[in-house]
Amino acid sequence: MADFSWDVRSPLDRALVAGRYGAQGDVGVSLTEIRNFDLVQVMARRGQAGEMIAAAKARFGVGAPETPKAVSASDATLIWSGPDQFFVLSKGGKHTMESLTPGFAGSASLSDQSHARALISISGEKARAIFAKLSSIDLHPDVFGVGTAAATSMDHTSVTLWRGGDRDGQAVFNLLVFATFAESLWHTILDSAAEYGATIGHSEDL
Amino acid sequence: MVAGAQTHRLANGGVIDRSTSLSFRFDGKTLLGFQGDTLASALVANGVKLVGRSFKYHRPRGILTAGSEEPNALVELRTGARREANTKATTAELYEGLEAASQNRWPSLNFDVMSVNQLFAPIFVAGFYYKTFMWPAKFWETIYEPAIRRAAGLGRAAGVSDPDHYDKAWAHCDVVIAGSGPTGLAAALAAGRSGARVILCEEDFVLGGRLLADGGTIDGLPAAEWVARTVAELEAMPDVRIMTRTTLFGVYDGGTYGAIERVNDHLPVPPEHQVRQRLWRIVAKRCVVAAGSIERPIVFAGNDTPGVMMASAMRSYINRYAAAPARRIALFTNNEDGWRTAETAIAAGLQVAAVIDARPDVSPAHRSLASKAGFPVLHGSVSGVDGGKNGVRKISVALTGGARAEAEADGLAVSGGWNPAVGLTSYHRGRPKWRDDIAAFVPDGAPPGMIAAGAANGAFGLGACLREGFEAGAVAARDAGRSGNIGSMPVADDEAFSLTPLWHVAGKGKAFVDQQHDVTASDVELAQREGFESVEHLKRYTTLGMATDQGKTSNVAGLAIMAAVTGKSIPETGTTIYRPPYVPVAIGAFAGHHRDENFHATRLTPSHQWAAEQGAVFVDTGLWKRAQWYPRAGEKDWLESVTREVKAVRSGVGFCDVSTLGKIDVHGPDAGAFLDRVYINAFSSLAVGKARYGLMLREDGIVYDDGTTSRLAEDHYFLTTTTAKAGLVMQHLEFCRQVLFPELDVQLTSVSDQWAQFSIAGPKTRDLLKEIVDPAEDLSNEGFPFMGAREVKLRGGLKARLFRISFSGEMAFEISVPARYGEAMARNLMIAGKPFGVTPYGTEALGVMRIEKGHVAGPELNGTTTAGDLGLGKMMSTKKDFIGRVMAGREALVAPDRQVVVGIKPTDKARRLRSGAHIIPKGETPGPGNDQGYVTSVCFSPVLDQWIGLGLVERGRERIGEIVRAHDPLRGEDYDVELCNSVFYDPDGGRQRG
Repeated sequence: MADFSWDVRSPLDRALVAGRYGAQGDVGVSLTEIRNFDLVQVMARRGQAGEMIAAAKARFGVGAPETPKAVSASDATLIWSGPDQFFVLSKGGKHTMESLTPGFAGSASLSDQSHARALISISGEKARAIFAKLSSIDLHPDVFGVGTAAATSMDHTSVTLWRGGDRDGQAVFNLLVFATFAESLWHTILDSAAEYGATIGHSEDL
Repeated sequence: MVAGAQTHRLANGGVIDRSTSLSFRFDGKTLLGFQGDTLASALVANGVKLVGRSFKYHRPRGILTAGSEEPNALVELRTGARREANTKATTAELYEGLEAASQNRWPSLNFDVMSVNQLFAPIFVAGFYYKTFMWPAKFWETIYEPAIRRAAGLGRAAGVSDPDHYDKAWAHCDVVIAGSGPTGLAAALAAGRSGARVILCEEDFVLGGRLLADGGTIDGLPAAEWVARTVAELEAMPDVRIMTRTTLFGVYDGGTYGAIERVNDHLPVPPEHQVRQRLWRIVAKRCVVAAGSIERPIVFAGNDTPGVMMASAMRSYINRYAAAPARRIALFTNNEDGWRTAETAIAAGLQVAAVIDARPDVSPAHRSLASKAGFPVLHGSVSGVDGGKNGVRKISVALTGGARAEAEADGLAVSGGWNPAVGLTSYHRGRPKWRDDIAAFVPDGAPPGMIAAGAANGAFGLGACLREGFEAGAVAARDAGRSGNIGSMPVADDEAFSLTPLWHVAGKGKAFVDQQHDVTASDVELAQREGFESVEHLKRYTTLGMATDQGKTSNVAGLAIMAAVTGKSIPETGTTIYRPPYVPVAIGAFAGHHRDENFHATRLTPSHQWAAEQGAVFVDTGLWKRAQWYPRAGEKDWLESVTREVKAVRSGVGFCDVSTLGKIDVHGPDAGAFLDRVYINAFSSLAVGKARYGLMLREDGIVYDDGTTSRLAEDHYFLTTTTAKAGLVMQHLEFCRQVLFPELDVQLTSVSDQWAQFSIAGPKTRDLLKEIVDPAEDLSNEGFPFMGAREVKLRGGLKARLFRISFSGEMAFEISVPARYGEAMARNLMIAGKPFGVTPYGTEALGVMRIEKGHVAGPELNGTTTAGDLGLGKMMSTKKDFIGRVMAGREALVAPDRQVVVGIKPTDKARRLRSGAHIIPKGETPGPGNDQGYVTSVCFSPVLDQWIGLGLVERGRERIGEIVRAHDPLRGEDYDVELCNSVFYDPDGGRQRG
């Protein structure tokens, strides 16, 4: 009998080359792909949004976002993805379809999106300058503070964008993009970042 | 070649860096300039007067202005792939090694054979195209147009792909300010101090606007010092962004402004990783237009002679660039401001030959200046200019009262007053209004949120500019919700501005209104005589203002002359419509990143890299790259590869990545009821664990899309769409859910990207699957019947979804795994199938097998066909309502003579059938009256060993066996074909059920 291995392969496996990219000298921006996450879309059933939010609170200790926000729980991030719906982003199998389904039974429909997206984290002094080329959204800190989220488009591609907690005093922007578009958007991001100089990497940690 | 001396460089002054000498070439001649020069100022410093030939008459032309309004000094900048035509020498920054060439001359600028056109001037009058080249009509394309284009072209495009990069970016602010002269800087100060987010755009590479040329005293400081202090204060504000080399060129809906930043045009080649230009879309709550004003010429005979220059431009060259446009300057003015050029010339040690002032009175101060400097003040107008390609020699003056005078000079400065730059304020169809006191149009009806201030608003004094700018900045910031302390307003005195309008001096010889398009005053008069009186007609008939400078120096003069000949006032005559962009913007900047392979986003299937390793040929399918076939060594063409793949599937087993199909999770207690309404057939009755083919219609009864939908749980369906319609169907279903059927409890999620899905087909499919699927899973016909759908465990523990559906007509399954396992699945299918000769196949083989099987696809689901046309009419349920049901019953949609899907094969088995061929009855003449349909899909069928196809043919299903003509005028083909059953292969379906 043949021996089958089931290795996972990130949608950015081919395009992502770790190391420096673009202009040398100061690093303008860090581009990090987060790999192998769990992502579940939770959509309220008709008239059950309140119950869904309560179910989220019971499980995560925080309410599900009702406006374009990303809410951090101890081991998950709840990200608004539309009216009466949100994503549960987590790692290590803590919040999968199987484990979430019972808690939301009757209040929400769940759909596994773990493999449907690539997750890219962009931070650094020039992060906003790069997003200016990708997005029509105003990311000024007064407008797009920590925890703000948006369902928008970049490079004609649907994305979910949110601002995570600052790292080393710099804003961190996270981007969920459809997996089959990821390589294409990645090239656009690289083109946008080239003039500022980037460090590229991937990580298993959220 | 020895670099020429800077013969006309002044010893002192100027905003130039004399320590950085730059060598450049103009028409092959090496010259020197300084850092801080424009190409124009460096040419002036080198005493170059002749810089181009005019568009129509090939008249010698010099530099008229010192800004982006320049009509004459247009050059080809750079060489090779980076060559850019029609670049204004007046805005091109000088850099080491710059190469520029004059345009529109042959063989050389100095000796241009086309200048003979001047002798034929009478035939080149307004409308000459329409009048001269009318007959014979057939000559137009072959003779006239090529000849005219060769003679008239302004510059040459590079002709090869632009090697540089461009990008596009968004910016957001409270207040965007166009212009950094005194008005713009004062506006930025007020807005910035009040805490507003400010973007200050300056098209020049140095801030200061007219202060750079005209100086002045602000807050007791010399202008340059005040600018430096102000810029330092602005730069210290974190939310103020100053963008030089950036022109705000347009205003769009919702407070969006277009701006072009010439990031690296001042370098021969952009530094590595940098763009040449960047297109900005600036979203601003408010806009202050501080774009200044443009000095306007007076139209007189010989006014295009090299050496005739706007008075303000002369001051720019002398004061800002320390370059003397002439050594002995005559000034022709109708206003007080023009006199500043005489003052500047004297201060720079140049001679003033005469001042010709069209006004009745000249101030005592200027009279005393004239007597002190020893030049005459002539009351009257310039009536002619002696000179040629080497510049002005002598000025003829018609004195008030009728006498004549002359003045010898090598340069003539002209000031006809100032026109506020009303472009931006007029782009939403605002019509500027006339102000008699300054004899100029000022902004009116500006777009919402836009304020014009300073010279752009008709306030020409320095003090007034600062005052208006500061107030506009404060108001804009306040309106944007900022209320910080704006501090004190910068203060300066106002200069006198007294003007007597003068547009045109009658005289002998050509007097140019629009120098870039060679439109003369007599052309305007001719247009009027021929009935083209409206300014919009005037513009199009004479081409006045239609060149790349958009008539910045000519439009107002043109309509003033029209007003004079029609006896109307200027405001009655009116202005033409203003349209963006304010300056030419390269198409490359609009394209930005989206060119070549980045023209649009691309989507890659989960097994893409694996397929690429196999040497697959990819085809663009919408945004997707799909494996089209997998060539093997020795195969001579695609057909051989595809035929091999089809045969391998039909005789053994093959697989194909079908992840591109749209996939939608339909959840909720009402999911079945929802699907019953969107599909023509029933889905609420579908058992859990089963799949069904579904067809959906548009509201109008035409087929929208098809696909298989499986029921995975009581309240969970998994719906698939065609690749092409994936996004549209999702959109359609969301519309149905949210708008049409809000009462249904149903939730939709796209899972197209979640699953890697492969079709595995062929008689040995089950053998392959047994290798890879956990042995506990029952794959027998009983355990997993045709149209079964359920989750299975794979060897190694991974879970997959298995669907027993077939598009190929063979025993087939589709298997899906979470997308990150997609590549592993492709590799494992190769391993599992190795004993059975597994063959990966691409979209071509997929297409061949679906045609052999008579399955309809995109070419048949073409937006005009009904379910009945496709032979699927029986699927339309009569027991329920569904979208499109009523409209599908319309008379014409159920007419018996509709074109319906039928099989087609050439009677000559060796003949290739081509899609697009029209079906004509035998013995009839091809034509619209006899056109009975066309061939929609074709393939070479390895099973039948001939070309076959599907077509939409009138009453096709009733005509099986009939021989008709396939008429293909596009390819010049006409041959006999037989109409046949559309299912060419295994018509009873035994193979897929087996």
